[in-house]
Amino acid sequence: MNEFSLLLLAFIIYLLTMLTGFLFFFRTGNRMRRISYYLGLAGFVLHSLSLVRRTVESGQAPFTTMYESVSFLAWSCVLAVIIFDRKFRLEKTAPYLWLVVLALMALASSPALPKTYNPLVPALQSYWLWLHVSVTLLGEAFLAVAFVASLLYLLTPDKSHRPANEARREKLDLLAYRAVAVGFPLFTLGALVFGMIWASRAWGRYWGWDPKEVWSLITWLFYALYLHTRLVHGWKGRKSALIAVLGFLAALFTFFGVNYFLSGLHSYV
Amino acid sequence: MTSGPWKFLASLKLGLGLLILIIILSIIGTLIPQGQAPEFYRQHLRDFSGLILALDFDHLYRSPLFLSLIFLLLLNLLFCSWLRLPAKFRRLRIRDESLLASGQPPAERRDRARLERWLSEDLLQLAAAFKKKGYRVRTTGNEDKKIFLARKSRPGLFGPELVHLGLMIIIAGGLISALFSQRISVALTEGQTEKIPGQTFSLRLDRFTTEYYPDGSVKDWKSLVSVLENGQVKLQKTIEVNHPLKYRRLGFFQMSYGQDWDRTELGLEISLPGVGTRIVNLKAGETREAGDNLMVKAPGFIPDFAVDEAGRAFSRSPEPANPAAMVEIMAGGNQVFVGWVFSRHPEISRYQRSTLPGMKVNLKSFSAPPFSVLEAAYDPGASLVWSGSLLLVLGLLISFYLPYREVRICQRTGQPPLYLVYTRKNPAAFRREVDQLLGLTGQKGSKDKTDE
Ligand code: HEM
Repeated sequence: MNEFSLLLLAFIIYLLTMLTGFLFFFRTGNRMRRISYYLGLAGFVLHSLSLVRRTVESGQAPFTTMYESVSFLAWSCVLAVIIFDRKFRLEKTAPYLWLVVLALMALASSPALPKTYNPLVPALQSYWLWLHVSVTLLGEAFLAVAFVASLLYLLTPDKSHRPANEARREKLDLLAYRAVAVGFPLFTLGALVFGMIWASRAWGRYWGWDPKEVWSLITWLFYALYLHTRLVHGWKGRKSALIAVLGFLAALFTFFGVNYFLSGLHSYV
Repeated sequence: MTSGPWKFLASLKLGLGLLILIIILSIIGTLIPQGQAPEFYRQHLRDFSGLILALDFDHLYRSPLFLSLIFLLLLNLLFCSWLRLPAKFRRLRIRDESLLASGQPPAERRDRARLERWLSEDLLQLAAAFKKKGYRVRTTGNEDKKIFLARKSRPGLFGPELVHLGLMIIIAGGLISALFSQRISVALTEGQTEKIPGQTFSLRLDRFTTEYYPDGSVKDWKSLVSVLENGQVKLQKTIEVNHPLKYRRLGFFQMSYGQDWDRTELGLEISLPGVGTRIVNLKAGETREAGDNLMVKAPGFIPDFAVDEAGRAFSRSPEPANPAAMVEIMAGGNQVFVGWVFSRHPEISRYQRSTLPGMKVNLKSFSAPPFSVLEAAYDPGASLVWSGSLLLVLGLLISFYLPYREVRICQRTGQPPLYLVYTRKNPAAFRREVDQLLGLTGQKGSKDKTDE
């Protein structure tokens, strides 16, 4: 099977994963949960194969075009969801996370993103490309988990309306924090530290205030804000969730927006 | 250092305010094009240009306002950490005397509770249970008080400090870079030697090659260079993008390349009906005899020909996208041909004048000596940034994955024991773990779920 059939298959399986996940809302018991989990795993394996095929055929890192990066981000999200599901039991949050994965998969498969290989410009030919982009996108995947959890938090009516929701809200709040606790160090390492190292090797300066650099810094500062308001002011819940949502919007803008709206050295893809 | 202004300088309130301001300014900096001439702002951002120029927002990230915010952040981090360190060290080395001192143990918010039952008999058992979980356990006591202290991951206490220290070092490195780093661009054609300004050595370009992909885009530039000191070759190395040369305290980076179009070698094909066709090779700017009493001159060459509104020819780019040569031909002292000839479009004669009917001039070939653009960079702040980054990442890992945990049980004679839990991370989960260890909750192994 070629890369695109594998990707399509993974897409379909992710869709089923989400549907079984939502079905679980109406049924108790572990069966649906387990089915959903193994489906997700199967999709992940197929998706991985698709990425491997592309890497082997192009002979370069599988995140040098927008299509590749989005597919890799979706893959990272799946990885994050699977890890968190195993560790913390996502249950009712999981299908919403799969929804994000599906959105990314739809974007990756859409004709709007060309599927051709681009030969790498000299600056991109470096093993730092692998380290910088993969660790950054992996970090962003966990930040996406925090984003979904925070959005759900904001959308869940508070206790003045439904006292029963309080436990769920608290768990969403904790889930978001835990995802940031994984995503923030990864993002720091991948986007900022590896990015600086690579820039210094390619251009002789580690930081140039290029729009993409600035926006990843902004993203990072949002999460620093998230951690500190929580830690020291004891902010939890609504305000905290709002910062996590803003932080991820900044990450999205760094990923998609900067290339389209602002110009700079990073506009390769 | 605990009075008003100092306290404010060390406060997280200031820290958060600074972070927010830095975010806002950073965003503004990506919206206003940076580094343009003042005219640009007056033309395109009319209403704001006064403000932009007054605040130096045309180079926002080096503006006094932005730099002072960064500097304030540095001070804030410094004072904040400094003020908090003593307490952390006290916690690291809790002394028996302080544990047994009369009065209440230091209060932490939301993390104390009374145990509802006595623990006197099973303290040993409790110690064993905590040890199994990786805690270090200390017990001490006197006649009216018994203390049980279990602690884990003591380095975790300093995770945030390590993060902030790393951050301070990075900021310091960044400020040093901003003040003292130097960059010099050096363009060399093959064989050319250039003394590096401010240094005792020279750089010679021995060979320069550009490699292309099949589709014609650039794959790589390779500059084989020699470092010369007192005329002697000290070192030879190929510089490529992503593979700089380090020599002394400088780094040499392959930035780009170009072609020296002023020294283009042209191959002109001149045909005259009845006389024949000949090839004339000459350099741009040269005049050459071409036989049959013809003198050929090429006063100019343009790699990417275009004409501006005033009708003047100019080059749209340094790439040979539309190469054109200005050619002048004299026959016996009379000008018989003048005009632009195009390599890609030999049919265009709009820019030509000829007095010999049927005369045709073609630009058959052109080649200019390539030059390599290297950038010499000296950055004394970089090593600080690298060490700061290491501390930062290490500190993050410690903060998040080695959280300090502390449990104290304080039992006064005649009172139910007081138990104190100290952690800065996920207190709820920690409480659950401790409750379990203390046997306060019935179920064992209840997994820590994030959802219902
Ligand atoms: C971009 C800037 C900053 C970053 C990336 C950063 C990072 C961190 C991290 C990762 C933690 C641990 C968080 C946790 O355990 O959940 C932390 C804790 C903390 N930060 Fe920052 N920080 C920054 C700026 C500041 C500033 C400006 C202050 C100002 C006073 C500050 C004060 C604190 C304090 C008081 C703590 C708690 C320390 C403790 O738990 O003992 N931070 N910081």
